[in-house]
Amino acid sequence: MADVITILIIAIYFIAMLAIGAWASKKVKNTEDYLVAGRSLDMWVFILLMIGTVASGMSLLGVSGLGFKLGWPTIWEQIFVPLSIGFCIIFFGVKLHTIARSAGYITVQDYLAHRYESPVALRTLSAIAGIIVSLIYLVGQYTAIAIVLIAIFQIPLWLALVIATLVVTVYTTIGGLFAVAWAGVVQSIILLVGVCVMAPLIIFKAGGFTYVNEVMSSVNPNLVMPWNPTGAFALPYVVSFAVLLMVGLACAPHVINNVLSIRDVKMFKWAPLIAFVAYGIVMFLLKFTGFAGQVLVKEGTIVLPKVANAGDYVILEGIKVALPVEALWAVFAVIVLAAVMSTTDRLMLTIGAMFSWDIYKKILKPDAPDATVLLISKVVVVLSALVTMILAINPPEMLAILIWMGIGVMLGTFAVPLLAGLYWRGATREGALASMSLGLVTALLFGFLNYFKVNTMGIDFAAIPLHFSAYAFIISLVAMVVVSLLTKKTADKILDETLTGWYISR
Amino acid sequence: MFGLPDITIIAVGGVVLVVTAALLYWGLTFKGHD
Repeated sequence: MADVITILIIAIYFIAMLAIGAWASKKVKNTEDYLVAGRSLDMWVFILLMIGTVASGMSLLGVSGLGFKLGWPTIWEQIFVPLSIGFCIIFFGVKLHTIARSAGYITVQDYLAHRYESPVALRTLSAIAGIIVSLIYLVGQYTAIAIVLIAIFQIPLWLALVIATLVVTVYTTIGGLFAVAWAGVVQSIILLVGVCVMAPLIIFKAGGFTYVNEVMSSVNPNLVMPWNPTGAFALPYVVSFAVLLMVGLACAPHVINNVLSIRDVKMFKWAPLIAFVAYGIVMFLLKFTGFAGQVLVKEGTIVLPKVANAGDYVILEGIKVALPVEALWAVFAVIVLAAVMSTTDRLMLTIGAMFSWDIYKKILKPDAPDATVLLISKVVVVLSALVTMILAINPPEMLAILIWMGIGVMLGTFAVPLLAGLYWRGATREGALASMSLGLVTALLFGFLNYFKVNTMGIDFAAIPLHFSAYAFIISLVAMVVVSLLTKKTADKILDETLTGWYISR
Repeated sequence: MFGLPDITIIAVGGVVLVVTAALLYWGLTFKGHD
């Protein structure tokens, strides 16, 4: 078990989160307050909420792990993950927020149902697809929380998961998006400050930025190139990977729904640049920490556990040698917990919104009173936490593959119906249904074929030049264009109401 | 520079500069929806 100071530091963090939940619960009067924070968030709260939502457990453990394993060719995620926030705001947020204020949207499914005149079919398909991909992504987050709590406290997996689930579930359930947003403010500040302090310590411990690059170059010159000549992270793959991160994350249900919660669309003016710079600095530092791990391991300063994802432990082991004060490791644990929990809470709330609002209120029981919808939102938040906690305790093999596919499936499913809906007046309901369903199915199909390295019909799916999600995106796009051209056009009145056209703002 | 080949500095630095400039332009020109 951990020492008293470690337990105290983690306990203070947990109590702070619960206090935010208790405070936020007093502001929740109806479903709109609960699911979109009464459309009242200011710019800085919104920016930090967006950073917290995008910054998942993978941002800390996985980013440095990938840098450790493959070097500079993976640096592009440091640019395109932070840019996903700006992409989401500019290409989705400006229009969606403006329409949402007049039409009273609570979820992005409201927009899809309105724009494509499909109050049942497309709303149901997109809500169910959104719930499935969010649940999958959520399990991955809980797994990351468990890794950190086990490493710091040396407690069993089930206990680590119960503690983490309990805290996140309590503050999310009672406070809704108000709690998620303000917890996100604290969590994002912890993440930004914490990484800016701790990452340089690891890099200096390894001998400094230039020395780290020189050592990597001597081990393998490809480790310091912007892309690999062939194989993983060759140029075509890098381009598709960049699109995946920027567009896939931007249209992920737990990210895009945030744009409905801001007070005034004018707050979108500087939010993209501020989010890009702030989160970009953190992401670059995390990647450099992974590079530093190359040196620390090569010179025997740290030893990684002999597990398949050993690279994910680089930052944990690096901080232990760079910061030789055991009590302060708990601070690092809080940073990781902050990153993971800021995504977890938003995912749970998004699942609650998609079920209670899109499935229950809009399809099953349109006359349901607001109090009932609010109650169902809270029940679904708790249920989603319980289901994912149980799955994370003993994750089936299939689940690990689905988590790996996460953002790719989001890109294949949601990107084309959203972009075409907002910018192409020719996009039709049938086109959207075909695009979304084919995108979802082909993203899963290409993901499996790529993951299992299937070689069939003369195609080696282990060596396809682009990220698997790019093929699903292309198929989804072709389906949208072909089916839309063959089917009845959407009424001009609807297109005007939903600000459809080749512009962002006018 | 920094122990890196020129192509890495140019490619990564170039993309960061272009993205930053684009977001700066957005900030300077966006007036909000009417």
